[in-house]
Amino acid sequence: MLVDIITWPPLFQLVIAPGLVAALVIVIFILWFERKTAARVQMRIGPYHVSPRIGGGLQLIADLVRYSFQEIIIPKAADKPIFIGAPLAALVISLLPVVAMPFTTVPKYYPIPMDYSLLIAVALSTLSPIFIIAAGWASNNKFSIIGGLREAFVITAYELLIVITALAGGVAVLSYNLTDIVVAQKPFYKWILFTNPIAALTMFAAILMATSGFPFEIPEAENEIVAGAYTEYSGLMYGINMGAAYIKRFAYSLLFTLIFLGGWLPYEPSSGLIHGYLIPLVIVLVKSTIVMAIMSFLRAVYGRFRIDQALDGAWRIFIPLALIGFGIALIEAYLGVYA
Amino acid sequence: MPGKVVYKKTPKPRFLDAITGNLGAILIGLKYFANPNRLTMKYPYEYPQLRSNYRGFIVLDMKKCIGCMSCARICPAAAMKMVKVEVEKAGKKKQMPFPVINYNRCIFCGFCVDVCPTEALYHIPVHDVVYTNMEDMVLDLEKFQEKVESPSVKEGVPVRYLFDPDKGLVKVPIKEGGGEE
Amino acid sequence: MSTVESIPKKLPGMDVNKLGKDLYEVFIGPQHPGSGHMRIIIRVDGDVIVEADPDLGYVHRTMEKLAEGREFIKVIPLMERMAILDACNITLPYVEAVEKLLDIEPPPRAKYLRVLLCEINRIASHLYGLGIFGVFLGHSTMYMWPFGDREVFVELAEKLTGARLTHTYPVPGGVRRDLPQGFAEDAEKAIRYMEKRLEEYRKIFLDNPVIQKRLIDVGVISKNLAAQLGIVGPNLRASGIKYDVRIIEPYEVYDELDFEVPVFEEGDAFARAWIRIIEMQQSLRIIRQVLEKIPDGDPLHEKFWAKAPALYKKVFEQTKRVKLIPLYANLKVPEGRAFARGEAGRGEIVYMVESNGSTKPYRVRVVSPSFRNAIVFRYIVPGHRIADLPAIYGSIDYFPPEADR
Repeated sequence: MLVDIITWPPLFQLVIAPGLVAALVIVIFILWFERKTAARVQMRIGPYHVSPRIGGGLQLIADLVRYSFQEIIIPKAADKPIFIGAPLAALVISLLPVVAMPFTTVPKYYPIPMDYSLLIAVALSTLSPIFIIAAGWASNNKFSIIGGLREAFVITAYELLIVITALAGGVAVLSYNLTDIVVAQKPFYKWILFTNPIAALTMFAAILMATSGFPFEIPEAENEIVAGAYTEYSGLMYGINMGAAYIKRFAYSLLFTLIFLGGWLPYEPSSGLIHGYLIPLVIVLVKSTIVMAIMSFLRAVYGRFRIDQALDGAWRIFIPLALIGFGIALIEAYLGVYA
Repeated sequence: MPGKVVYKKTPKPRFLDAITGNLGAILIGLKYFANPNRLTMKYPYEYPQLRSNYRGFIVLDMKKCIGCMSCARICPAAAMKMVKVEVEKAGKKKQMPFPVINYNRCIFCGFCVDVCPTEALYHIPVHDVVYTNMEDMVLDLEKFQEKVESPSVKEGVPVRYLFDPDKGLVKVPIKEGGGEE
Repeated sequence: MSTVESIPKKLPGMDVNKLGKDLYEVFIGPQHPGSGHMRIIIRVDGDVIVEADPDLGYVHRTMEKLAEGREFIKVIPLMERMAILDACNITLPYVEAVEKLLDIEPPPRAKYLRVLLCEINRIASHLYGLGIFGVFLGHSTMYMWPFGDREVFVELAEKLTGARLTHTYPVPGGVRRDLPQGFAEDAEKAIRYMEKRLEEYRKIFLDNPVIQKRLIDVGVISKNLAAQLGIVGPNLRASGIKYDVRIIEPYEVYDELDFEVPVFEEGDAFARAWIRIIEMQQSLRIIRQVLEKIPDGDPLHEKFWAKAPALYKKVFEQTKRVKLIPLYANLKVPEGRAFARGEAGRGEIVYMVESNGSTKPYRVRVVSPSFRNAIVFRYIVPGHRIADLPAIYGSIDYFPPEADR
């Protein structure tokens, strides 16, 4: 009975996996991986002293404990309800697209009917940026306002890219149902990553733009505007802000995995809780962690763009590429590659 | 044959440079990710074994000092002061000035060691000493003659950095009785 | 209640401007990750900077006034703290000016040793500049790599002088230490390592399309404007003007060494990044030549060395440490005024030392290269975007303690 309640799909997917708990665990791992990777490339060690034998893996837990005990300072002239509420709302709403993602073919384990899941997932993912802009406005600090404005500009760059390239996956399979998209990529060579690499690359770049990944780390450019919209936050609010950006990246990379990397393939889910729900879920989580790890590696190689160069690149280079990817998907649909 | 001027131009990016530039940067990153070259010294579990000509803390050898006061005169930071102490030299008691040092001010320039005509002051290769309050850093004549100890010597492993044409500096732990330069 | 109109337009030393309706005033102040230790007040219209005002003086330490109360040799560690990164380049012209007043010339071996340390410091200073340049552009690898490679040269300098950064190496009459054992082999290894690393810097930084887009045609200083503003150093040479003190007025032994001075013509931030890499390659070449050509001899002028007691010579044989005779503490310099200039890592540094016959200088005036480069903020930055301010700042290699003295 208890197991039935816990594995009720809406509750399970939103709170446990891949919802809040799994997202936090994976984000902690990815943050550790990012710091270690950057350190390996940069002639240093990275997190070490907290737990030397496992390579400093508990450093992030130590950081979280430290943030929990730090005093949260709220500026007197800040707009209190929005100042406190905006990051929390951003954190929660960044996770919403998870509710529209299937992780199995068994209909018993869908949170919502999956007929238009692609559209719902993409639509839900566009809700969160407004809260960052609100947090920047509520801080009453010039650097925060500049950061919030930069976030507003960057939205115009990446949103269209995500919509077009996500739809390219749907068009190739001629269905809005994410389960159909995953099941259609059955042999290994039919992954949409290989048949339509342009769309995959464009969506990868768009995810970097959306979540402040290098080389597009513009809304929180440390050397120009201190910390952008997050300048005035301290203590646990600072930890929540940093986590929200990575949780958004996690939600996007789940979408990327389902569309382009074949979701839970090559495993075939059968009935039952473990074989039908948990194992495909773990496979999808591993694949999306690999995608996030590649994004973290780029931190060590790239600098950051200017805001007008990012917008310029998005509209002059990436949108034509996305349209070409969409065209390739149309050709694939016409030729019946995924029939 | 003095230096000559050479006119150069910066290379302008060409069409395909976007792809090759990105690939080159990522490949260099991957090369160092697979084979990192780390310089880090895990202080205080490892501490550097300094060379013998390092300008570290200064120690006085009272028997050689002749009281000429050159060290106090040349100190740029006014860290050396002379105190008069009664000593016995050649059977006669007399008052002689001896230097004492204030490590709050010392900048370890080494002028006092270089100017002493009898080599009564010398450097020891120690650079990390811990004092718990500022009064302790003003040494009197007794403490000035002792060789200060670095706290990392008790627990750490001494390491040395050797030059290497591939990796720049290579960290080498020193075994017991190993070479000191 | 006073309005903006009632404030007088020009108070002495203060510019009072009415803030336009759409302008935003941002203080890129000392507590900012992208400002170093200085304040820049910018007025922004949207994303475009309309006016930029550098506010110098945050680290002013009154070095020129302090130098009037210290003996001549005590001024050397004082002036060195101006830009501790290339310590030998900063103090060398002061020592040369004092030597001109004393009318002595150091022996040839001392001159070669001074040039050796100057070039090692120039490499370390350029690596520091490139590191800060990288981190201002967000490129954290280009921040860690130069600082890690700088460690090699700081170790080399420590082997030579006994201290990692505060060398205090030249003294009037010569140098304070001679080459230790095994220095030439270690220097050769360091040079080969650095040549390999400069190729890797090129691949990850200069050929990186993101960095190329950030730097090309940003902060362009044309040839005429560079001459009008009076900037110095690699920034001037990146704008097309061939001016390097090492070839215009060669000091020490630069007229006997074979090296190239690069001059670029574009004048943008990309050229300024390239010129530092090429200058480092030339400095490595100079170090190799110095180690080949160095003659034997005394490290100090005979006035300070020939009559030294036998203990000094014995210590020099054993530990290569030059002992200073007590005359240095009360060096009386004849009356007069002397000028000397040198090429530090960031540009031309000029000293004027005036003495009135006593043991302390009457006046020491120093014009540091970063002070002359500070004018770039006022005239070049307006018209660029906010994100170009760190790019221009890093490319001119401005070092606030050197400018504020």
